[in-house]
Amino acid sequence: MVVRSYNDELKYLEKINSYCWRIKKGFQPNMKVEGVFYVNDALEKLMLEELRNSCRPGMVGGFLPGVKQIANVAALPGIVGRSVGLPDVHSGYGFAIGNMAAFDMSDPEAVVSPGGVGFDINCGVRLLRTNLTAKDVLPIKEQLAQSLFDHIPVGVGSKGIIPMNARDLEEALEMGMDWSLREGYIWAEDKEHCEEYGRMLNADPSKVSLRAKKRGLPQLGTLGAGNHYAEIQIVDEIYDKWAASKMGIEEKGQVCVMIHSGSRGFGHQVATDALVQMEKAMKRDKIEVNDKQLACARINSAEGQDYLKGMAAAANFAWVNRSSMTFLCRQAFAKQFKMSPDDLDMHVIYDVSHNIAKIEEHMVDGKQKTLLVHRKGSTRAFPPHHPLIPVDYQLTGQPVLIGGTMGTCSYVLTGTEEGMKETFGSTCHGAGRALSRAKSRRNLDYTTVLKKLEEQGISIRVASPKLVMEEAPESYKNVTDVVNTCHAAGISKKTVKLVPIAVIKG
Amino acid sequence: MFKRKLEALKHHNPESLNMNDEKSVRILVLWLEDQKIRHYKIEDRENLRQITNPEWKLHFAKYLEDVGCPLKNAKLVEQLEWLIGYAVKLEYSDNVDKYKRITAENVKQNKSDAPKVISSNPLDKLDFESADFKNGVNKLAELLKITSHPDHLVTLQAISKVVTERLNAECLKNPSSIVPKGVPFPFRETESGFVTNDKVLAEASKILKLLFIQDLRQLQTQINECIVAVQKVTANPKTDTKLGKVGF
Repeated sequence: MVVRSYNDELKYLEKINSYCWRIKKGFQPNMKVEGVFYVNDALEKLMLEELRNSCRPGMVGGFLPGVKQIANVAALPGIVGRSVGLPDVHSGYGFAIGNMAAFDMSDPEAVVSPGGVGFDINCGVRLLRTNLTAKDVLPIKEQLAQSLFDHIPVGVGSKGIIPMNARDLEEALEMGMDWSLREGYIWAEDKEHCEEYGRMLNADPSKVSLRAKKRGLPQLGTLGAGNHYAEIQIVDEIYDKWAASKMGIEEKGQVCVMIHSGSRGFGHQVATDALVQMEKAMKRDKIEVNDKQLACARINSAEGQDYLKGMAAAANFAWVNRSSMTFLCRQAFAKQFKMSPDDLDMHVIYDVSHNIAKIEEHMVDGKQKTLLVHRKGSTRAFPPHHPLIPVDYQLTGQPVLIGGTMGTCSYVLTGTEEGMKETFGSTCHGAGRALSRAKSRRNLDYTTVLKKLEEQGISIRVASPKLVMEEAPESYKNVTDVVNTCHAAGISKKTVKLVPIAVIKG
Repeated sequence: MFKRKLEALKHHNPESLNMNDEKSVRILVLWLEDQKIRHYKIEDRENLRQITNPEWKLHFAKYLEDVGCPLKNAKLVEQLEWLIGYAVKLEYSDNVDKYKRITAENVKQNKSDAPKVISSNPLDKLDFESADFKNGVNKLAELLKITSHPDHLVTLQAISKVVTERLNAECLKNPSSIVPKGVPFPFRETESGFVTNDKVLAEASKILKLLFIQDLRQLQTQINECIVAVQKVTANPKTDTKLGKVGF
């Protein structure tokens, strides 16, 4: 680890334009490519502040600052293009959360790293639309919030209400949303509006430990805790009328439901198991990295392949999970309004994954290459005409769902050609933490947090209120800053803004 | 192996025989004796029935001798072929009258008796290249406001499309069900996804792209319909709210 003063560190950073900084080689040892991060003025201060703090003498322990982590990723074998930090970047395990890194599949040295995917594999956001407006929902929002809370199991240790046995789980891991379809929990159109059509085909449940399956079985169909939530939202602003109408969003005040959830304990266990295997593989293959949290294995090694197959199974778990909650949401609404979900037009607008590694085709230095793209806290944002996005969005570009923090707002963006070139079709995923969980618990009081939400007119149901301050808006970066930076940098385009009226949380 | 003979014997799975698999051979021998040859009484077939018995080969040799197979020291394939042939012979002699009529000549005769399709469609006799026909197509196109293509058959295809989609009985009864509503799509303002300086080419590519998207949409809808049809058979959503546990 190089020790330098803050001012010396700054020499390696260069502001390219008002939204983009370059991290030059040499900032961390062995950098194979440059790093880059996207920030506006407000986010820039947070980013540099973090770096300055870590330069103070005596600062040891905890995660490295985000900029350093981006640079360490740029030193991994086989990386191509640039190591990209999105505006919501903050430090995480090994890779920063909000980091995209792509590895050349044809390079035998290239690696896959569980830290580049994150522990909550295929954590993601799903947005359902309705044909209701604020007028229909506001008078009964308390009842509706309660009904959702009753239907969707939330919180640490919550259990699903969709009966599953070990065989069902095994099938669900292999089939992803096709399982939910087969059992009749979701609609055919849901699959169409989902990344990868809700199923990663290389999933292999036999590569997943029994322990992961034991943890996962009771949790399927549950929201979980942490920053996961289900929100009833209303459309607050439409920036791109035409793209919004393609998504079925026609007017301000229209009601939508956002579900933010992942693969629960299952994904966590898959990642933990893989890290152990990879440490062995690194010793054997003599892979050197700057930070031991960046455990990785060659993509073509047994460990690398096993991880990708296990990860795909965890991704399928998360899709079944979000599908089960979609089913429960539709039931809750149907009961409350005494109308079928069909008549309420409760279609899935889109479903994105923001913790995943995928094999994709991209242009690198004018040549088409097959890359393994790690997106951790980063959302895929493919441009119009891309063959992998649904037919309905061929002309608008892929919808990108950005969940805000509790009580703030959320956004729908669309992918752009610019983003495809600059960030391998990736953009931000949410607000991004500004305070650590522990710090938020120390600095904030949960009663004030809840009171503030109440004053904003947001109905809230929380399973574990004492953890609420971890998720308070004050603990996060401003999601509007994050989204505006992505929009201004051109890596994705603002389409719709949504504000919550009811929140269900773990 | 022996597929045609086994088919003639109405074996349930004539392609299943695998000469390298001893078990498969033994099962077939047993089937032949049980169903077709029936040389032994049922209770005497016990030795053949024990297909996993290491002494089965001896019992098989005895069986061959009993049914009068002359191939004592031949290969197993040859013995099996003889046995199947024997079964066919027995089957034939059981129903001589039924099979007697089927001679090579008869079969040939039957084949040539197959009904010949006599075209009753007057369109088949049309000369599609005659000036009269071309003229008619172009006039029809004019009537339907369809741009003529230099190849009149392409024009005819376009006409057929319009007639089947827009002028069918259902559509004429209720035009709003087919005719798209809403504002026309400003296709000139979209991006084609690639750069070209040729304005005409760019415009053409945009139109092609839109047509392609329409085709894709139709395909996706068909896929969805297919999934829904399967769902009707497989779906059985179960929820049990009693299982729910919220929080710690």
